[in-house]
Amino acid sequence: MPTNLLQGTLDLLILKTLALQELHGLGISQRIAQITNQTFDVKPGSLFPALHRMEEAGWLKSYWGESENNRRAKYYRLTPAGRAQLKAEADEWQKISLAMANALQST
Amino acid sequence: MPLLSRLLSLRRNLFDKPRVERDLDEELRTYLDQLIGQKVRSGTDYAAARREALVEIGGMEQIKEEVRGIRIGNMLESTLHDLRFGCRTLSKSIGFTAVVILALALGIGANTAMFSVAYGILMRPLPYPDADRVALVYMHFSPQNFDRGTMCIADYLDWKAQNHAFQEPSIFSSRRMDLTSTGEPEQVQGAFVSAGFFSTMQVAPLIGRVFLPGEDRPNSASVAVLSEPLWRRRFSASPAVLGQTILVNGAPATIIGVMPGAFRFPRATTELWTNLQVVPPTRRGPFFYRGVARLKPGVTLEQAQRDTNAIGQSIMRENAYYRNLTLPVERLRDAIVGDVRTPLEVLIGAVGLVLLIAVVNVANLMLARSTTREGEMALRLSLGAGRARLVRQLLTESLLLSTGGAIAGLLVSYGGIQLVRSWNPGNLPLIESVRLDAHALGFMLLAALATGLAFGLAPALHSMRADLNSTLREGGRGSRAGSGSARRQSRMVLVVLEVALSVMLMAGAGLLLRSLGHLEQVTGGFAAPPREILTFAISPSGPRYNEEARLRTLYDDMLERARRVPGVESIATTDSLPPDRQADADTFMIEGQVLAPGESNPAVSVVVASADYFTTMRIPLLKGRLFTVQDRQESAPVAIISESLARHFFTDRDPIGQHIKWSGPDNQVPYMQVVGVVADVKYTGLARDTDDAYYMASSQVVKDRRAYLVVRSRLGGAIAPSVRRAIQAADPGVTVNQVETMQQSLAQAVALPRFDTMLLSAFAGAALLLAAVGIYGIIAYSVAQRTHEIGVRMALGAGETSVLAMVVRQGAMLALTGILLGLIGAFALTRLMSGLLFGVGSTDPLTFAAVSLGLLAVALFASLVPAVRAARISPMAALRCE
Repeated sequence: MPTNLLQGTLDLLILKTLALQELHGLGISQRIAQITNQTFDVKPGSLFPALHRMEEAGWLKSYWGESENNRRAKYYRLTPAGRAQLKAEADEWQKISLAMANALQST
Repeated sequence: MPLLSRLLSLRRNLFDKPRVERDLDEELRTYLDQLIGQKVRSGTDYAAARREALVEIGGMEQIKEEVRGIRIGNMLESTLHDLRFGCRTLSKSIGFTAVVILALALGIGANTAMFSVAYGILMRPLPYPDADRVALVYMHFSPQNFDRGTMCIADYLDWKAQNHAFQEPSIFSSRRMDLTSTGEPEQVQGAFVSAGFFSTMQVAPLIGRVFLPGEDRPNSASVAVLSEPLWRRRFSASPAVLGQTILVNGAPATIIGVMPGAFRFPRATTELWTNLQVVPPTRRGPFFYRGVARLKPGVTLEQAQRDTNAIGQSIMRENAYYRNLTLPVERLRDAIVGDVRTPLEVLIGAVGLVLLIAVVNVANLMLARSTTREGEMALRLSLGAGRARLVRQLLTESLLLSTGGAIAGLLVSYGGIQLVRSWNPGNLPLIESVRLDAHALGFMLLAALATGLAFGLAPALHSMRADLNSTLREGGRGSRAGSGSARRQSRMVLVVLEVALSVMLMAGAGLLLRSLGHLEQVTGGFAAPPREILTFAISPSGPRYNEEARLRTLYDDMLERARRVPGVESIATTDSLPPDRQADADTFMIEGQVLAPGESNPAVSVVVASADYFTTMRIPLLKGRLFTVQDRQESAPVAIISESLARHFFTDRDPIGQHIKWSGPDNQVPYMQVVGVVADVKYTGLARDTDDAYYMASSQVVKDRRAYLVVRSRLGGAIAPSVRRAIQAADPGVTVNQVETMQQSLAQAVALPRFDTMLLSAFAGAALLLAAVGIYGIIAYSVAQRTHEIGVRMALGAGETSVLAMVVRQGAMLALTGILLGLIGAFALTRLMSGLLFGVGSTDPLTFAAVSLGLLAVALFASLVPAVRAARISPMAALRCE
C-alpha cells in the first residue's frame, strides 16, 4: 500500500535515486517506487515542484536528452553540491531512524 | 555555489520566463506521453491509457502552478503580475476606483496634514540643544493664584541661593520695548533676562556674543542682543552693528550680539534681549519674572520639582504674605505649546475617526464589489489558483487603491498645511516648524498600508470562504444565500459602525459650535459697536518723559489733536482693553476690613483710564458717577469698581463712599474713595469670568508711560491714518502700534476656538457625507437584491406606500442602531474635550438630540432614493427578471 511521504524524505529519495543514475521525471518516480518496494508512490504534483526547487538550490542539474524510446526528455543529474547534500541528509536520516528504532524498542 | 545557482535561477525566472514556461510545459507533456507509452506497451488501448494517465497525474495546470509557486522570485513576479492585473481591473471600473480614491485621499490627506501640524508643534525637536533638560519655573501662591504665576527678584534670589537641581537659575520678563536707532522709532517684543539666560538655552549667537556671567549685577552696563529678523530689517544685516548704541525704552544700550532666527524664546515674536540688572530688592514685588534653567546632569524634572517645592516652603516660612506657595516647574516644550495641546489632541482624534469612517466606507464598497466578482474568483480557484494566492491578489488591489488614495491625499495634505500656516489661528506656537517632511510622508505611507489592509481584508477573507460549486452553478450571477448573506451582514455592521462614528464626530463638532456661539455672544462688557471702536498702542520714547508732568501734557495734547480729527466721536486713554489685554492684576484691601494675618483679598484687574473711557466704550454706569475733570492729581484719590467686585465684597453695604487700595506689604499708598460702579468688562479673555476690577483715573495715577488710545467713530478703521497723524503731530518720536478695531480684537480672541470648531465641523461634515453614502449604498443594494421579492409583494397587492415604508424602515433601523451606539461613544468621548467648551456641558442633551435627529434625517433621505425606486418596480418586470 503506497504511503504518504514523510516531510523531508522526498528530497533524500530523489537525491539517492539520482546518485545511482541520471533519470527523467517518470524514471525517478518509478525508481523510487522500485527501491522502496512500492511503499512510496511519488505523484507528479509533488515530484516536479521538488525537482525544480532542488535544481534552483543547485543540487541538481537538468538537461534535455534522449529517452529509452528515442523521445526528447528532461534528465536530472546530481551536482557536487547535491552529493554533499545527499551525504548530510543520509547521515541525518540514519541518526533519526536509529533514534526512532531505539525509542520504539524500549519498554 | 548554491547562492550563485539561486541567482542564476532568479535571473532566468524573471527575464527568460517564456523559455522557463516552455520547458516546464514540455517536461510535463513528456511525462504524460511516457506514461501513456508505458501503458500502451503493457497492453492497454491508447484512449484508455491516456485517460488513466491523466487521472494519475491530476491537473496539469495545478502542477504547473505548484512549480511556479516554489520558483525563486516567484513572490516578486506574482506581485508584479498582481499589480498589473489590479491596475487593469481597477481601470475597468473607473467610477468605483474614483470614489474609493477620493474617499481615501480625503481621509489620508487630512490625517497627514493633521499629523504634520501635531508633529511640528508637539514633537519636532526644538531648536535648543537637549531641550527636554530645560524647564521653566513659575511661582504659584495665594492670593494671586496664577497657574503659571510670576516671581519677584527677592524670590529669585532665594531660589538661586537654595537651588540644588538646576545648573544656573535664570529669570526673564517679556515686555514691549521701544527701540530707537537711526530711522523711525519702533516698538518691538523684548525680554529682560538675567545673565544665565542664553547659556541655559545653549544657542550660539550668529555674530558677536551673548551676556557674560555677572552682566546682570546692579550698575552693569546696558547691553542688548538682537534677533536675526530685527538685525536684517533695521540694520541691513551689517556686522558693524556690534558696538553700536541704541535706545531701549529711551535708555542707551550697546549691541553685543545677534541671535539666529530659530531662537524664539521666551516668545515667538521676541526680537530684543537686554540684560536685567538684578538689584536686591527692599520688598517682595513687583512680580514680573519667570525662571528658566537647565537641569543638572542626572536630575529628573520630578526631583527638581521636589527641590523647588522645598525652597517654596522656606520662602513661605519667612514671608507671612504668601499662602500655599509652590514653585511649579514645567518642561520647555510644554511651556511653549501651552493650551494648544488639548485642542490639537481632540482634532487628531477626530481626524483619525474620519479616516476610520472612510476605511469602513471603502470596505463596504469592496464587499459590494466582491459580490459581483464571486464568479471570477470561483473560476480562478477551479483553474488551479491557490486561495492564499487569491487573497494576496485582492490585498494587492486594496493596497493599489490605498496608495492611489495616499498620492492624491498628498495634494490634500499639502493644501491643508499651507492653509493652516497662512491662517495661523490664534498664533499657534511653533507653527514655523509645521511642514510636509519625511516624517509626514512616512506617516502617510503607514496610513496607506494600514488602510489598504484594513479595507481589503474583509472581502479577501470572504473570497476564501467562497463555495465553488454553488457559485459556479449560479453562473456567477451573485448569490442570495450562503456567503452572500454573510457579506450583507458584514456590510450592515459596517454601516452601523459608520453612523456611530459620525454621531461621535458630529456631537463633538456640535458642542464646539454651540460653545463658539456662546463665546461670540460675549460682548466684552461694553455697549459700543465693536466695529466703531479703534485702538492704538501708544508709546512715547525719550528720557524727558520720565517726568510725569511732561508725559501728562503729551497725552493731553495727543487727545486734544486726535479729538479734532473729523469723524472722531469720542476718545480716551486706558492701559487695559477688552477682551484680554489686562495691564495689571493685584490684590487690594478695603478700609476697615478685618482679615486674618496673612489673609488677603484675591487679585483683581487694575485699570488706569481717562475720564472719557467709559463713555467712549459705552460701559454702563450702574451707580454713583464716572471720573470727571475735577479728579485731579491734587484732589482726593477716587476709584470706580466693577459690578462683580461690588457684588463680591460689598454684599451688605453701599460701595459708594467706601475706601480701597492695593494691598502689597508695607505700602504707604493712600486709600481711594469708591465713587462709582460700572458694568463688568472682560480683561482676561472672553471665556473667563474673572470680572472683578477697579479703575483708577489716569489724571491721578501714572503707572506706565505707555497707554492705549481708544477712539469711537462710525468710520471705524478708515480713520486710523488720520488719527495716527494727529498722534504723531504731538510728538514724532511716539510709536504707534497694534492699530485695530475692537471687532478685530474680538475675532482674534476667538480665533483658536474658531479654528478648532471649523476643522472639527469639516471633519464631521465629511463623516456625515460618508455615512450617507454608506447607507444609500446598502439600501440600494438590498433593493436590487430584493427586486423579485418586492415584485411578488406588489403582485399580491402591496401598495407603493407600504413598499416605500418597508425600505425606509430598513434604513431607519440601521441609522437608529448606529445613532444609539454613537451616543454611547459620544458620552464617553466628549468629556475629554470639556476643557475646550464654554457655556455648554460636555454631554449637552440639546446638541446630542440635534445631532441624532440630523443624522436620522440624512439616513432617511439616503434610503428614500432607493425606496422610491423600489416602489416603482413593475411586478411584471420584477417577476420576469428571474
